[in-house]
Amino acid sequence: MGILSILLCVPLVGVLVLQFFPKRKFSAHRVIANLTTFVTLILTIYLYFPFQTGQEMQFVEKVSWFTFGSFEPISYSIGLDGLSLPLLMLTTLVSFIGSIASIYIKERTKQYYSLFLLLEVGTIGVFLATNLVLFFFFFELTLITMFFLIGIWGYSKKERAAYQFLIYNGLGSAFLLIGIVGIYVYFGSVDYDSLMKVIPISSFNPFTWTLLTLLLVAFAIKLPIFPFHRWMLLVHVQAPPSVVMIHAGILLKMGAYGMLRFGVSLFPDYMEYISTLLAVFGLINLLYGAILAFAQQELKSVLAYSSISHMGIILLGIAAANQVGLQGAVLQSISHGLLSALFFFLVGALYERTKSTQLENLGGLAKSMPIYSGILMVASLGLLGLPGLSGFVSEFFSLLGLFERHPIYASVGTLGLILAAVYTLRALLSVSFGEQKKSISHQDIAWKEWLPMFFLVVTIVGIGVYPDLISSTLNHTLETIVSDWRG
Amino acid sequence: MVIKMINFAWTIPLLPLLAFLIQLTLRTKGKKLWVSWIGVISTFLAFLYAVFLLLQSFVWNRAITDWKVDWLHIGSNVITVGASFTPIQIAMLFIVSLVSCLVQLYSMGYMKDDGRSNTFFAYLSLFTFSMLGLVISPNFLELYFFWELVGVCSFLLVGFYFDRESAKQAAKKAFIVTRIGDVGLFIAICLLYWQVGSFDFAVVKQAVDTNQLSAGMLTLIAILIFVGAVGKSGQFPLHTWLPDAMEGPTPVSALIHAATMVAAGVFLIAETYWLFEASPTALTVVAYIGAFTALFAAVIALTQTNIKRVLAYSTISQLGYMMLGLGSLGYGAGFFHLLTHAFFKALLFLVAGAVIVAFRHEQDIRKMGGLWKQQKWLAVMFLIGSLSIAGIPPFSGFFSKDEIFLAVYHSGRYTLFVAALLAAFCTAFYMFRVYFLVFTGKEPGEKTKSLSWHFQVPIWILAFFSIFAGFVQFPSHILGEWIGVTESSTLWWIPVAVTLIALLGVFLAYAIYQRRWVSAAKIAKYSGFGYRLSYRKFYVDECYQAVFVWTLKGLGWILMGWDRFILGGVAQFIKLLPRQLGEIGSFLQNGQVQRYLLISIFGTLILLLSITAGRLIG
Repeated sequence: MGILSILLCVPLVGVLVLQFFPKRKFSAHRVIANLTTFVTLILTIYLYFPFQTGQEMQFVEKVSWFTFGSFEPISYSIGLDGLSLPLLMLTTLVSFIGSIASIYIKERTKQYYSLFLLLEVGTIGVFLATNLVLFFFFFELTLITMFFLIGIWGYSKKERAAYQFLIYNGLGSAFLLIGIVGIYVYFGSVDYDSLMKVIPISSFNPFTWTLLTLLLVAFAIKLPIFPFHRWMLLVHVQAPPSVVMIHAGILLKMGAYGMLRFGVSLFPDYMEYISTLLAVFGLINLLYGAILAFAQQELKSVLAYSSISHMGIILLGIAAANQVGLQGAVLQSISHGLLSALFFFLVGALYERTKSTQLENLGGLAKSMPIYSGILMVASLGLLGLPGLSGFVSEFFSLLGLFERHPIYASVGTLGLILAAVYTLRALLSVSFGEQKKSISHQDIAWKEWLPMFFLVVTIVGIGVYPDLISSTLNHTLETIVSDWRG
Repeated sequence: MVIKMINFAWTIPLLPLLAFLIQLTLRTKGKKLWVSWIGVISTFLAFLYAVFLLLQSFVWNRAITDWKVDWLHIGSNVITVGASFTPIQIAMLFIVSLVSCLVQLYSMGYMKDDGRSNTFFAYLSLFTFSMLGLVISPNFLELYFFWELVGVCSFLLVGFYFDRESAKQAAKKAFIVTRIGDVGLFIAICLLYWQVGSFDFAVVKQAVDTNQLSAGMLTLIAILIFVGAVGKSGQFPLHTWLPDAMEGPTPVSALIHAATMVAAGVFLIAETYWLFEASPTALTVVAYIGAFTALFAAVIALTQTNIKRVLAYSTISQLGYMMLGLGSLGYGAGFFHLLTHAFFKALLFLVAGAVIVAFRHEQDIRKMGGLWKQQKWLAVMFLIGSLSIAGIPPFSGFFSKDEIFLAVYHSGRYTLFVAALLAAFCTAFYMFRVYFLVFTGKEPGEKTKSLSWHFQVPIWILAFFSIFAGFVQFPSHILGEWIGVTESSTLWWIPVAVTLIALLGVFLAYAIYQRRWVSAAKIAKYSGFGYRLSYRKFYVDECYQAVFVWTLKGLGWILMGWDRFILGGVAQFIKLLPRQLGEIGSFLQNGQVQRYLLISIFGTLILLLSITAGRLIG
């Protein structure tokens, strides 16, 4: 068994071990989940070092799975390249911190952590899979586990949120499935490698367009792109914060990953062809999300719309159809993943104390909770794209890339930088600045909370100051993709 | 040793960065006195280093070693980070580290009783680091990096008294309004990258010199860079944040909002001056905006009643002068005024802070008076600053202002010349209005607070520079030669005219506020609307509120309705459409994993079936 399979199995082992503990042993459940996610994190960090930049798929494992007559057999095949490595690291990091942040979950912890770890298997698998069927399998796994995590442990409207999540994503999965089947039938393979060789370049035909559209719609729902975004608002607001950390931190990025992996790298010339359309949708997402984030009265909704806005930037980076833009899109996925994980950890800690996330009920927290407010400040500055934090490089690269192809759209996109400052500061200032609303002063966060947050902050600063941490592994993979455009 | 120090000049900003990290760690545990000394000493060391570089470059004409390392990859293009040391950069290093050091020393007195003073000093160190980094940046991207960081420090320090509603609003405004300008700079940087393929000043300069850029593109980029400078340097129409920024503690106003950060816009234009020289249109824009701002802000300053606000508008006005100088091909003049202004405006703010403390945190000049009798030295210091800013010889402001007037006159834009003269008149008037109101007249009933040495030492040092800084350009143009400007012929009547008009302003203030030959209230009454316009700052804030804030809010509400009802409605519809799906949903509601598993298996079956079917078709 190769290291990647071990990585996939670790959370499964965790799930198994959990079953041996009685229901009431809350702290034991927590320890096991934290340990398991920690081991996966260590494993991925360990993968980072032997990873060879300048080579394609590495640590490949391939076992034949099943066959359909004369078709190429479908295999269990996993691997890692420059595109999936950073996202994999994001996944295990956010899962680890998310598992720590699950201290605010106080009932049915055994089931919770079992599902949480299964969800991790799904998210890791999505980024490791090197064929479409396996990808789909893991993609569905995240869907099922998320459905229960939202529906059982969420806030008051959890059922509605869970169903809306299921219906939208189920619809997306249906599109994805049809697309995959179509690809398998039409091109005779589901392996990324062979597909990249098989799919002809710059010969547009309607059937391929249909397939691409199906895939893009599926990922547009996941990302989400306007007007498919309604479901994720409910999830952001109703799911427990530790689950939203995974949701906003990783699951949305599966949409971005899908677009890059199956859109850009399989159909490069098609994607280039529709780059204007992508740019338009990117701008709509960016501005629509930002304006609505400004109008919200509740902290989690602000963050939900800000997620929509930030996903717009990913789309702009893809629309740029050049290496800088793609670099920006991936960096934005990572950066927004880290930032939203941090934010929803903060939200969880806040709700635990104030029992409200309505902006009007908050204010002046900097007085009684200085450490909390300090971290919230850093997170907010990251969200509005301050240089030195990860948000800046990703936005800068995405827009810089777009300036080459669509300078006018890119200029309009810079409005997003201003609006981001407007809505973020509004939210930040009404939480921690001003006079304290209630006379009760809340306890500042304990080391158990600020230490993992601080870990995220360090990562965010690290990427912000030295983006090559990610770019160095990423660039070669992107280069091979871009070479199709240049050629 | 000397050679080594020349090679490691890039480490200057690291000293305050280190101080920041230490101070942040000691935020709650550290003794206040120690934490503040960490900041002062680290900045003082940076200052000593800057003096060393100044001597090397200015006196011995030695080149300071630039520094460069790989930073990040954009595609296959390597972007470097580094430091360069041209004369104006070294001059800025000197100003920033000196003023920062003095202001931190002053803050030890000013912030003595504040419970969060450790945080305050940490922020000051962070600011000093960012500002020093900005100054030595050799490329646009690095400059933008620090440009935003100083902005955030300004935001943090303006909002330092976070529990005050006014401070909170001011901090937000400071950040957002300057960011509007920053976006201009951001676009300029992106455009330049695709035009030239590099962010380095040197590479871009060469591209400009060899006419690689079209004239239109050059003008566009230059104007966009200027937009960035407009935001940072509080030029019209993005000036509104600067007066509000006075909500921050007074030492911050002196350091960030008078001497250093707000001058960054002027510095940016000076540093990329080759771009502007290549585009006459851009220079014209700079000159007109500068002249308009100089006069506009000076008129507002005439009627303000808060001592810090008067100084804030005066800063805007003086920054306008610098822009005017730069826009009129007076590269040396603009930069020279930046230098002298840093000293006399920091002096004025620090004295104003001392006055505010002396009057037990009163900022309204109408409620002050008679401080001359109790604290003579403060009055003398304020007088030095006022004479300097008013442009009375031989104080430093006179020389730098004179050069700007000369440049404007040579540029042949006589309207701007007249506007600048009017602004000079207003400057002299409003400064001495403050002077007479605060220091002369009826003595305060209560004994004013005496001030510790922390207040006195920085004020004395700045007063020294305010008096003598002018002599770097007079009688011999050593500053100009050092930064590489050829001197233009002087005209005897310009300094005379400038001095006379300033004296006229002083005299008028003396007549109204000291002798009270004419009642100020009566003038206000008779000038009616004009007075109101000035007092209400030409209603610019109100306009912005109506045009931008309410539009954005309205748009937000409309889109919210659309999002909730239209899109939400569609979502509901989609949910109802396939009833079966809903039934599967309710079937699932009992939360049994087995059932879902069954469905998944069912789904997989469909997958397999369709694949087989596909094979039959294919």
